[in-house]
Amino acid sequence: MNGGSEIASYLIVLLFLVSLLMNFTDIPQRIQLHRFSSFVRRKLYTLEEMEVDARRKAIAYMSSTGIKEPSKVLEGFMDNFFLIRPVDMEPTDIIKRFKHLIRVRESSVRDYVRRVLSGAERSVQYSVETVLEIVSVMRLLNKLIRHYLELGLKYNNWILVMQLAIQMPELVEIAKAYRNSLDAFTSGIPIGDSVGPLVAKMLVNWKEPIREISEGTDLYETEVEGRKVYVIKASGPGSNVGWPGEALEKLVEELGGAIDRIITVDAALKLESEESGEVAFGTGAAIGDIGPEKIAMERIASKYSIPLDAVVVKMSEVEALSPLTKKIYEGVVRSYEVVRKIIIEKVRDGGVAVVVGVGNTVGVK
Amino acid sequence: MMLLQLDALMTALLIALFLLLLTTLLPWLISVTSSKSKVVKEELVELVGCPKCGYESSRKYEKGDYVGKVVGTCPKDSNSLIVKAIYVEKHTYAQ
Ligand SMILES: [Zn+2]
Repeated sequence: MNGGSEIASYLIVLLFLVSLLMNFTDIPQRIQLHRFSSFVRRKLYTLEEMEVDARRKAIAYMSSTGIKEPSKVLEGFMDNFFLIRPVDMEPTDIIKRFKHLIRVRESSVRDYVRRVLSGAERSVQYSVETVLEIVSVMRLLNKLIRHYLELGLKYNNWILVMQLAIQMPELVEIAKAYRNSLDAFTSGIPIGDSVGPLVAKMLVNWKEPIREISEGTDLYETEVEGRKVYVIKASGPGSNVGWPGEALEKLVEELGGAIDRIITVDAALKLESEESGEVAFGTGAAIGDIGPEKIAMERIASKYSIPLDAVVVKMSEVEALSPLTKKIYEGVVRSYEVVRKIIIEKVRDGGVAVVVGVGNTVGVK
Repeated sequence: MMLLQLDALMTALLIALFLLLLTTLLPWLISVTSSKSKVVKEELVELVGCPKCGYESSRKYEKGDYVGKVVGTCPKDSNSLIVKAIYVEKHTYAQ
């Protein structure tokens, strides 16, 4: 035998041993764990940079509104003001309990901001609240990712770390959307989620509201081809979603249920195969609420058996948080036409309809 | 005969090595060859209009503007001109 073939046979033995190690030990998993965890760490580093950037923007915005020691205000807000979900094992009056907790949390946030923001406009106050919420959401996201990464490494749970690594690109996109939404909220530009209020405003021909029906929620009155139309939307132009369910409940009760149709307009999450700005209509309450506002709409509609329609403009989660794009604005115009069509075709001449423009009204008065 | 056998073995090993390298480098190769660099320019545009006569025109977004704000008078009938929409327009240029 010559030297060359000896090397070759050594190599074959080596290959055999390596394949044995790779197939019958958990060394590959260890290697993967290392690779995935370093990938997650790299992405987490970008996310933490984004958080720092968001913090910087929030502090700059808050000091521009006249808040003294904005970083202290930010620190005092983060990690606090959490909400514990009510017991759902016994669902009796869960909506009432949930609504109560949401209102209490909201008013304590409001008090916190009001205390540091002496005598500013309400729209500014709403925007400061939103900015604080966004930065604390970004912080929570980063903390959760770090938690799962460290948990996975601690127990050598390579499946957990791998899962995290696979989800990272999506999470980075969402964090980016949150950071970009800060620009929209601080300078008062409509976002994708503002399609409901935009349609409402178009419907009333950009008129002023007749009154505030619920806290931070306005009522408008207009006419569409002989049909009386009441329009409900959050009061702008600050970042605000109002209480559309409560407002609708109040209005219907005030009118004694003499309403022919309720139409809700909102942004909806699109499927990947769908185009942004696509408009669709259906039945039900179009609102992305955790419960109380949505059930209020359903309850009041079924109490007086008023047909409840939903018109949605489709978009991705990122688009819902980012400044409005032209494509989605075209969707707004289309959904306005759909709402008009529903009113003309399904409400009798001289009848009454209510349109609820659901969503954040930032940049839309 | 022996020499031929050795060559076949070495070639097989070399091919295996080459394939291994190719699979590890493939994602990078794809990203290099398929990325067509595009320049995306985003511009904030606002649509101003007159609710009375339907006059409409678009212009650059000005800081502090919001939908529903009165920003002047209509050139047609001197009613108040208001901001009807604010949105981002994307212009893409292929480089
Ligand atoms: Zn005019």
